[in-house]
Amino acid sequence: MTSYLILLGRGRVVDSNLSHLLVFGYLISNVIITFFPSSWFSNPRFFYPLVIVDTGVVLLGMYLSEKMVTDFYLVFFMIIIFASMSRSFKLLMFIGGATALLYGFLLYSWGLLISEHGSSYALRIPFIFIMTAFYGYLVQTLTSEKRRELSISEDKYRGLFENANEGIIILKDPSLQIADVNREVEKVTHYANEELLQMGYFDLFRPEENEKARIYLNEVIEKGERRVDDLSLKKRDGAFFEADLSIKRIGLGEESFFQMIFRDITEKKRLERKIIESKRNLEAIFDGIGDQLSIQSPDFEILRVNKSVIERHSTTFTNLIGRKCYEAYYQKTSPCQGCPLSVTIGTRQPASSTLKFPEIEKVQQIFSYPVSDEKGKLLYLIEYVKDVTEEQRLKEQLIQSEKLAGIGILASGVAHEINNPLSGIIGMAEIVLEEEDPSKNRSYLMDILTCGQRIAEIVNGLRAYSRTAKGGELGAIDLHEVLETSLKMVQLATKSVPVEVIKKFRPIEKIKANPGEIQQVFTNLITNAFQAMNGRGGNLILSSRSLKDFVEIKVSDSGVGISPRYLNQIFDPFFTTKKTGEGTGLGLNIVYRIVTKYEGTIEVESTEGVGTTFTIKFPKWRDEL
Amino acid sequence: MSKRILIVDDEEVIRKFLRIHLTKLGYEVTEAEDGEKAIEKIEGGKFDLIICDVMMPNKNGWEVVKEVKSNPELNEIPIILLTAKNDEVDMFKGYELGANYYMTKPFTKDQLLYGLKLMFEEAS
Repeated sequence: MTSYLILLGRGRVVDSNLSHLLVFGYLISNVIITFFPSSWFSNPRFFYPLVIVDTGVVLLGMYLSEKMVTDFYLVFFMIIIFASMSRSFKLLMFIGGATALLYGFLLYSWGLLISEHGSSYALRIPFIFIMTAFYGYLVQTLTSEKRRELSISEDKYRGLFENANEGIIILKDPSLQIADVNREVEKVTHYANEELLQMGYFDLFRPEENEKARIYLNEVIEKGERRVDDLSLKKRDGAFFEADLSIKRIGLGEESFFQMIFRDITEKKRLERKIIESKRNLEAIFDGIGDQLSIQSPDFEILRVNKSVIERHSTTFTNLIGRKCYEAYYQKTSPCQGCPLSVTIGTRQPASSTLKFPEIEKVQQIFSYPVSDEKGKLLYLIEYVKDVTEEQRLKEQLIQSEKLAGIGILASGVAHEINNPLSGIIGMAEIVLEEEDPSKNRSYLMDILTCGQRIAEIVNGLRAYSRTAKGGELGAIDLHEVLETSLKMVQLATKSVPVEVIKKFRPIEKIKANPGEIQQVFTNLITNAFQAMNGRGGNLILSSRSLKDFVEIKVSDSGVGISPRYLNQIFDPFFTTKKTGEGTGLGLNIVYRIVTKYEGTIEVESTEGVGTTFTIKFPKWRDEL
Repeated sequence: MSKRILIVDDEEVIRKFLRIHLTKLGYEVTEAEDGEKAIEKIEGGKFDLIICDVMMPNKNGWEVVKEVKSNPELNEIPIILLTAKNDEVDMFKGYELGANYYMTKPFTKDQLLYGLKLMFEEAS
């Protein structure tokens, strides 16, 4: 408005109609320009032509108004505008100087410097330069301050942008051409920066996923922002990777862009798949185990069971979960007697036991393992139940058959032993029948009697053996007595082995055990000793002594001995060095089981070719104390 | 001249009734209570028959058979093995070693006579 009044008002500087039009157009255009978005002015391609055109128009106006001479100084306002936009202070000074000189020259050539107002015109020359410098300095200072702030914030942004762990791609809207990428994009895709700047949105995806990418982008346009993790991005070599992708529509100034942020989640997805797979595997193993496996809380509540549990109890999953195990499985109101879970709950240690369950007619071996948190608080119990009914039955059967085999060996020995006196009885009886001199018969009948008594003795011994072998009662046992009986029984069976038996018995206390089982121990050991000395003869030494809490029995032979490599195996079930059919390999295992059952110990020492010594210790019987 | 028979057994009562039977039958009987003594006696005197138990201390019946049958001067003497074990394997083992007859205890006088008859008919 001020410009209009100056130019067209009273005492106006403009006269012709063309000038009116020009000034009007100039002002209108300037007014229109003020409505242009401010960002345009920071674009030099728009701003500099504007300033030049503006300056040209002012100059043209002055020229047409023929007041060029007096009003040329107005150009200096243009310079100030330049100054405000110029980034180079030197250039501004140069232009300011040039304008001052040009104006001075014009004043001079028009003869104004020597006119009556010459001094005031002359003052304008340095004034233009000084004002240019002053405004230039002012604007420079202000803009440089602002620029510094800007560059700091841009550096910050750039740093964030470049150093982000995510790939960031800026896409132009709507061309979808890539406008900018950060280093992570180059690193992940292996494309060079220049290559990426030539690419568009769809070049980033696998061709077969382009349709999916299009749908995705439409959702972004619709909602402004969207995140997906089921698209794959393409690398330079054609390989692709799974990405967690997020696109957001953003405005930078007046322009709109798509900001695409992604992260390579191939490894994450692979791990996820692996976790799912191993979880599935574990579940399959859990369910596939033929024995019963369950996870229980420390108060016996069933949390998880495998298929075997469900099958064994012919029930359903929902029928068991949340119930107490003793209640759900065995219809009891309290935990089972001897349950290892109770032990684990108390000790936080794994436990196991073999229990009979008459409710389901099973013998089950139960193992329990604790699962604790890092503070040691018991979280769960893993219960592993193995049905050993059949195993137990076979084991008992084997032990039985081993007993029978032992009896068989004894029986053949006994037969031999009986047949001799029997021969005597038959032979002497026939002689008595034929004898005509009755006075001689007395001696013959005495022989028959002796033979009969021998047979009776053997039969009595056998009866005693079978009686002790059968009895399951625990009693106070005199080990010497049992050793003697066992020795006698073995001697009957192995008479042809020339063995000298040496007994070194010292007074010992009684022990508490089943006599049949102890007899089995000694019969086995003495039989082995005789067999070891078969064909070579030797000494069998049976010795005993009393220790502090134990009584000790040693059975030593001077037989072939045991090879050192077998020494640690001899108590294993079915371990035998005898030929197939000659030994079951159960003898020493039974010995071991019986001895340990009574909390005794058994040790073996052996030297090949010299002999073997078994040392057994049983705890003394203390019940009467 | 009566035939000489050696009875070898560690059981006295068995030697005794065999001796009574055989003496009555007219044989000249000598006794030994184990294998070792038997071998000494066999080497010392000429016998027409040896009746020998198997299960004996020192030398058993099989060892006696083996020694006699491997001695060219003695291997013609027939041997009857006596055993209290009624076991086929034992019986075959005896025959394999060269025993001429095998009798399991207990046996009767008739069984003994049959054995003697068999041995002496074979020998003649």
